[in-house]
Amino acid sequence: MTVKGFFKSNVFKCLATLLCVLLVSGVFLTLMNGLLAVSDQERLDRAINKIYGKSVAYTQVEVANYNDNATIDAAYRIKDDGNYLVKSTGKFGFENGTVTCWVVVNVKNGSIKGIDKVVIDSNKGQSYIGNINNNFLSGFYGNYENGYIFNPNDGFIKTGATKSATAICNAVNGAIDYVNGKFLGNVAVDIYADFELTEYIETKQSSHEIDESGNIVYTIKTKGHTMPAGFTIEVTVNAEGVITAYNLVENGSTSQTYINRMMPEILDGTLFVGKDFAGIQAIINEGITYPGDDKGTTISTGATQSNYLCIYAAAFATKNYDKILTDEVPDEGTDVEGGNE
Amino acid sequence: MNKYKKITLDGLIYQNPTFMLVLGTCPTLGLISSAFSAMGMGLTVVVILTLSNILISLLRKVIPNAVRIPCYIVIIATLVTFARMFLEKFVPDLYDSLGGFLALIVVNCIILGRAEAFANKHTVPEAAVDGIMQGLGFTLALTLMGVICEFFGKGSIFGFEIMQFKISMLAKPAGAFLVYGLSIAVFTYVIDCIERAKRVKANKLARENLLKEVA
Repeated sequence: MTVKGFFKSNVFKCLATLLCVLLVSGVFLTLMNGLLAVSDQERLDRAINKIYGKSVAYTQVEVANYNDNATIDAAYRIKDDGNYLVKSTGKFGFENGTVTCWVVVNVKNGSIKGIDKVVIDSNKGQSYIGNINNNFLSGFYGNYENGYIFNPNDGFIKTGATKSATAICNAVNGAIDYVNGKFLGNVAVDIYADFELTEYIETKQSSHEIDESGNIVYTIKTKGHTMPAGFTIEVTVNAEGVITAYNLVENGSTSQTYINRMMPEILDGTLFVGKDFAGIQAIINEGITYPGDDKGTTISTGATQSNYLCIYAAAFATKNYDKILTDEVPDEGTDVEGGNE
Repeated sequence: MNKYKKITLDGLIYQNPTFMLVLGTCPTLGLISSAFSAMGMGLTVVVILTLSNILISLLRKVIPNAVRIPCYIVIIATLVTFARMFLEKFVPDLYDSLGGFLALIVVNCIILGRAEAFANKHTVPEAAVDGIMQGLGFTLALTLMGVICEFFGKGSIFGFEIMQFKISMLAKPAGAFLVYGLSIAVFTYVIDCIERAKRVKANKLARENLLKEVA
């Protein structure tokens, strides 16, 4: 085929047509891209305005973490009203996944007045997140008990997606702690920071007091495990490090089915009463690491994680009793300024 | 029958892309859980289908037969990309709700089907009317099913809560499949009844004419 023949052939016509269509399309889209492109800043403005519910001016503020159960990803101060918009990722969701939420923290006169809005941004591995509806999210707006700490065991959390709801709860608590700690100077003091066996203990939410008999009365809040949420347990330990009372205040199991599968001796506390740390360790065959040492551990009942958290709380209480006594009870004969003679 | 009337009736009823030709099933099943998304997808298809029909009809004598399909796809892809840019800029809520289905309009059978079956054989005005009517047929079908699925699946219509009772399955693709199937059955049955009534009327008329001629 000659050059002239090629230019007159159908092949050339097809190629030319195709190239022309591509060229015109490319030029058109390039022009349109220049006209219609949405910048990153515009996207952020839209996202924030959508979450906030109206057009607002804002400034980005530095992030920091004040809560072990959540990570602060981004935060903005709304110039119009002084509130904070916090992007917080709550941990301990379904199968240890996470839920990221945008939380509008209402701040007035230097203190947190409430939560104005909670919007779910994304999640990791939360198959049942669809069960979380607006009714659940609006439950945060008026629930300010317990020093603004939302409890995953509260009644408002029954959604059919308990673990995802726990992660959302953690995200909201994380946002509150962040605003409290970073901007309002209300940093929660962790009195158990240098204590032993704190891996599953909510150290900032737990407390203790020493009664007139010298017994240590703990109110221990445990973290959640893979399946159950946190437990709240009152444990009394005497001066010899022996548990004299064990009262399960709040059960973190996700349903009555799992509660029924827990060891009855744990539910009524009789398993722990009269035992010191060595006795607690022996329950899961030496060591306190979940799920024991595979020597026929008795805690495998179908609610092993729940059993374990309760045992862990008892272990925490007995392991650290002497530290509390050493730190808090002054030595006899020591002059205390202002004390009674 | 006026050819534009025929194109209109074909697009809306007799060759309705959703109920009669069962085209564009992917976005149909994916989006009819929300009436807003369904209508948004339908209207986007109206615009893209109309523009692609016009362009393809304009270029039908220029584009060689051997490369017509690649050319059609480039034209449709360009229009879809433009629609995505436009929606992201000016209607971000709809852009977010359509998600990946917006890009998938490129391979929507309705658009390529109308380009190949109609636009490259007809004049520009006819192709434009066909695009609008086929698109509207698709939009009406999607919106109707969207309203049904959203009402029974979420207890709301276009996002406005109507009732507390809901059948969650209908707000999911499996429920959409069920509603889609039932809608096709009802639509086909109604069209069939109308056609039968027309035939009966025509036969009666013919019989009367015959009797008159015999008399």
